[in-house]
Amino acid sequence: MTTPLLTVDNLKTQFFTEDGTVRAVDGISFDVYPGEIVGLVGESGAGKSVATSSILRLVDSPGEIVDGTITFKEKTLFGLEAGPDGEPRPSEEMLTEEEMRKEVRGREIAIIFQDPMESLNPVFTVGGQLREFIELNRDLPTEEAKQEAIDMLREVGIPDPENRYDEYPHQFSGGMRQRVLIAMAIACRPDLIIADEPTTALDVTVEGQILELVAELQEKYDTAFIWVTHDMSVVAEICDRVNVMYLGEIIEQAHVDDLFYNTKHPYTQALLNSIPRPDETIEELDPIKGVMPEAINPPSGCRFHSRCPEAREVCQRVHPEPRDLSANDRPHNAACVKYDVFDVGYDASPPLETDATGGFSAGLTQTESEAEADGGDR
Amino acid sequence: MGLARYTLWRVVQAVPVLIGIITITFFLANQIPGDPVQTMLGPNPGQEQVEAIQARYGLDRPIHERYLSYLSGVAAGNLGLSIYYDRPVLEMIMLRLPVTLLLMLSAFAFAIATAIPLGIISAKRRNKPADHVSRIVSLIGVSTPSFWIGLVLIIVFAFYLGWFPARGLVLPWADPADVRGAETQFQVIRTAAHHLFLPMIALGTLQMAQITRIERSAMVDSLQGEYVKLARAYGVPESTIVRKHAFQVAQLPVITIIGLGLSTALGGAVLTETVFEIQGMGRLIITAINNQDYELIMGTTFMFGVAYVVGVIITDIAYAYIDPRVTYGDET
Ligand SMILES: Nc1ncnc2c1ncn2[C@@H]1O[C@H](COP(=O)(O)OP(=O)(O)O)[C@@H](O)[C@H]1O
Ligand code: SF4
Ligand SMILES: [Mg+2]
Repeated sequence: MTTPLLTVDNLKTQFFTEDGTVRAVDGISFDVYPGEIVGLVGESGAGKSVATSSILRLVDSPGEIVDGTITFKEKTLFGLEAGPDGEPRPSEEMLTEEEMRKEVRGREIAIIFQDPMESLNPVFTVGGQLREFIELNRDLPTEEAKQEAIDMLREVGIPDPENRYDEYPHQFSGGMRQRVLIAMAIACRPDLIIADEPTTALDVTVEGQILELVAELQEKYDTAFIWVTHDMSVVAEICDRVNVMYLGEIIEQAHVDDLFYNTKHPYTQALLNSIPRPDETIEELDPIKGVMPEAINPPSGCRFHSRCPEAREVCQRVHPEPRDLSANDRPHNAACVKYDVFDVGYDASPPLETDATGGFSAGLTQTESEAEADGGDR
Repeated sequence: MGLARYTLWRVVQAVPVLIGIITITFFLANQIPGDPVQTMLGPNPGQEQVEAIQARYGLDRPIHERYLSYLSGVAAGNLGLSIYYDRPVLEMIMLRLPVTLLLMLSAFAFAIATAIPLGIISAKRRNKPADHVSRIVSLIGVSTPSFWIGLVLIIVFAFYLGWFPARGLVLPWADPADVRGAETQFQVIRTAAHHLFLPMIALGTLQMAQITRIERSAMVDSLQGEYVKLARAYGVPESTIVRKHAFQVAQLPVITIIGLGLSTALGGAVLTETVFEIQGMGRLIITAINNQDYELIMGTTFMFGVAYVVGVIITDIAYAYIDPRVTYGDET
């Protein structure tokens, strides 16, 4: 393959709150190559949005990128080096805030947010907002930027763009607004577009249309995408390669076909089980048990062990780093000690009782607590 | 509907409100115990004198007749005769209204010019020292009555320091010949500004404090908006985000509070005029009440009502102008 467009290496982003340090992104690494669509999947709270805002260096306070390197086309978006006192400090090559704003945001990397209803400014016209970003990121004079904005609106399928240019966001439906946000991203001609759950707020038919539109535009402009979603069916439809995130970590990383047909990680498997697939029956549908723990105090060992159906005692102790388990020439990384390469004695380890192991013991626990509640009433 | 038609529509809508104000003030004024004629003529007037006066001011006619003729008079721009001043009410109002308007406008100009930057700085530097200072100042501002501020200003800046005059007001467009120590119009304006300064601050402080608080919280909200995040992600400079993207949205609640402030400031103006001995509408209304000058009470109250309604209409129009989501009454 060619050289990556974007390389994220061991990125760590934390929020310093009163309750403690939230390890929202805890050492993730992935690449994006020119023109491909890379998925970032995981349940809500996995750290997907924090990861994407870290790439643009727009993490909300009290959050901060504390470690790692982000490289985009030779540019260091984030990097640390050892200072004279031994403390890490921003490296020489790291872009300044000014450079990030002028050279990267919008111009090189554009973003589409989740909420099309809130993302547009209610008091400015849709066209005016689009034109402003085009003017700023393509150095076009106002008139040309306006023409470009109208062309872009037409291209994303907004009927009568000359007139709708002067309308306000509240006059657009949710789907139409999301098209406008897509127009904004494409119109700035970036090499990478980050789409942070752009269809989550839309209903399924509109979602389908938007996905189709994006696939079309992606082909035409050959833009790379990071597609953030919690929905595996969207991943199947649109992504080339996928990163599965759980509690701040990437636990599986593979080509989309390998991920679906040669799933390695139990969490990925659980995500897949929770969506309807044409080759499965409804009875096999199976939502993930339990809730994701807090990112303030992540569980020891494998972070998924509290919900993993295959968890064993060793999973509590050993924290697996992703390893290549590929069966073909495409890399396929997963972080699960049940594979022999980890060699930590999984097979010999006794099974662990978890939210997901269910069956007799889980039923028993539940009955016990209910009995207790009854007793309390009496 | 365009903005012009919307304005017209709001004005038309205000007519019944104004008629209501007239009606209520008319009957209230006529319920005040005592008799203006008595006030004028002393405790033991002659019967003829009383009848003459009553006839002159129409007090001998039944109340419903007087009400109807008053209504038609107002419609024709005639507010009746002031018994106390023995001049048409409208003439007295025209004499005093500019003074109060000048005071109000300068107070609001002062309030807006200081509050908006203060509020923005506060929001930008949330929970930093500048924010704390501005919040304490505005807290004191909203909790201190304007007449008290006026008294303190007079004591400090007029009596002790002698920097500003303590009483009276000069209109900037007054004839230099009528203004002591002024020869040119420019000197008149300077004298006017000099006189205006303390009452302007006394009346404007409450408004300033209120607007600062609203501006701050509106900007804090607005700066956290998704559209601000989007603008940042597209490389819009922070200064543009504050000045344009966040500011425009944040002005909606600010306009509402300014509109509400216009009416509370009318009450404040009455007190401020009393403290600074300014011959404005506030003093006029007090004189009218003290002397049971029916027509003058009704006329001045009506003018306050008009001012209130105008304030509301201006607020609505400004709102409609800034917020595209406001539909002008029809949903087509
Ligand atoms: N401003 C913030 N302050 C504190 N914690 C935050 C903040 N933003 C995000 N987090 C935490 O970071 C973690 C990841 O959040 P996020 O990236 O939004 O998840 P996702 O996008 O995958 O749903 C969550 O535990 C969330 O509580
Ligand atoms: S390491 Fe253990 S707990 Fe974690 S996913 Fe694998 S089997 Fe489950
Ligand atoms: Mg998110």
